[in-house]
Amino acid sequence: MKKFMLLFIGQEYDQLGLSPEQMQARMGKWFAWSNKMKEAGITAQGDALEPAIRRISGADRTVTDIAAAEVKELVGGYYIVTAKDFDHASEIAQDYPDYDLGGTVEIREIMVFDQ
Amino acid sequence: MNEPKIIDHLFRHQYGKMVSILTRIFGFENLELIEDAVQDTFINAMLVWRKQIPENPEAWLTQAAKNRAVDLFRKLSAENKRKAHFDSGPAAISFQNLFLEHEIEDSQLRMIFTACHEALKPQDQIAFALKTISGFSSKEIASALLLKEETIKKRLSRARKTIAEKNIAFQIPQGKELPTRLNRVLEIIYLIFNEGFHSNKQEILIRKDLCGEALRLCKFLLKNTFTRTPSVYALFALLCFHSSRLDSKIDESNEIIDLKNQDRTKWYRPLIELGNAAMVNAFDTEEYSSYHLEAAIAFEHVIAKDFASTNWEKILMWYEKLYALQATSFSLLNIAFIHMQLDEMDKAYAILQEINPAQLEQRTYLYYGTFAEYYYRNNEKQLALQHIDDALQLVKNEFEKKYLLKKRKKILGT
Repeated sequence: MKKFMLLFIGQEYDQLGLSPEQMQARMGKWFAWSNKMKEAGITAQGDALEPAIRRISGADRTVTDIAAAEVKELVGGYYIVTAKDFDHASEIAQDYPDYDLGGTVEIREIMVFDQ
Repeated sequence: MNEPKIIDHLFRHQYGKMVSILTRIFGFENLELIEDAVQDTFINAMLVWRKQIPENPEAWLTQAAKNRAVDLFRKLSAENKRKAHFDSGPAAISFQNLFLEHEIEDSQLRMIFTACHEALKPQDQIAFALKTISGFSSKEIASALLLKEETIKKRLSRARKTIAEKNIAFQIPQGKELPTRLNRVLEIIYLIFNEGFHSNKQEILIRKDLCGEALRLCKFLLKNTFTRTPSVYALFALLCFHSSRLDSKIDESNEIIDLKNQDRTKWYRPLIELGNAAMVNAFDTEEYSSYHLEAAIAFEHVIAKDFASTNWEKILMWYEKLYALQATSFSLLNIAFIHMQLDEMDKAYAILQEINPAQLEQRTYLYYGTFAEYYYRNNEKQLALQHIDDALQLVKNEFEKKYLLKKRKKILGT
């Protein structure tokens, strides 16, 4: 088994104007997804990320604070899942609940070094 | 999985609770701020719970509401705005106590009564109640009421403005004012229910939600000793009876099934029983409201085994009482219809003559539809056709239009 990182990229929930009912329904989909993975024996770990961004870049280490409202898409959270290969990982990612909100999942394999 | 289950509509209902408590503390002038803070709480819950649902989701949200109150208090003090109403009123209930179940309910009742203040227009009252008490978004209200979201937003802001301008107090009125305002509350609940029950919206879910909300609001009133009146019981019974046949009103192909052809075994018994129990309390009075009479009529329908065994004489009596209480053309139309069921065609005709169709407003098509039925039964095919065509010209609701077209075919077929 290999490890893959699923990065969830999209608009911030705050900007989407979801109603309480829609939020609850969306949460239900996330639960269903994580339950499904658990039952399939796939370990998944991850976090949601706060929207505030501080970016440090360049040789000068320039610091920029970016508000979530300024960016169209941001990484809102991630999962690390166990999967056989890329195809298996993308199969897992099919159940990501926010595609209908214009969300994107980016899948990256976690590198393993053989010494 | 042993995950704690989140009850249906928890967020929506919790939204109403949180907005009500925070409004009680911080006043209407901070309503928009409050709504944003509550919205934030749910976004947080949605993200945090993804990892681990709390043991008691409701308690988690109540604690979050408390935290938001503290945040808001700091924020408002910092902005040097008006202090929170922590110690206003003779009760001077402490902050912690406001989050106890019965105080939360009290806050919600206050919100209901404020939403139904006579200074607000009825259409604004409905929108405002659905938003602040029931936790619907403007978009959901718009789709439930078949209106544009912009219209709903306008209504909401007009309601907020009126409350602010007239300085309407966040309280349950007392003394002589209570019965008047309570009547208004009942009217709004009745209207919300009707929007759900008669809506032609294809999405059955949102219609059911409106009916469910009306029932829930009624239950609030029944929980409180001051607002637990026979009329409230009567309205509750009426809504139960109607709700019991919500599922059998429309078939798989989205067509209306009339009372005559509904599968009565599909009527939801537990709701009928709930309605029956409420009827006992409702009729513990000498004074009947229109809800009493409408509930009595609905009762006669739900206890009839089939359409043929409907007790039309009794229903006629209730309708005549209803007409005596509120002389509406709509009651007359029903009375005419019942006379037809009783084969009293002359009486039916006389009543139909009395009706001024213009008074039925958007339901004028029902007048022509009933006339068409009259002529059909009387074997006057040409006149029946003429009237069904008049009805078809006026009907706006797609469901009802289909129904009338079916009827037209039936007239042509004989």
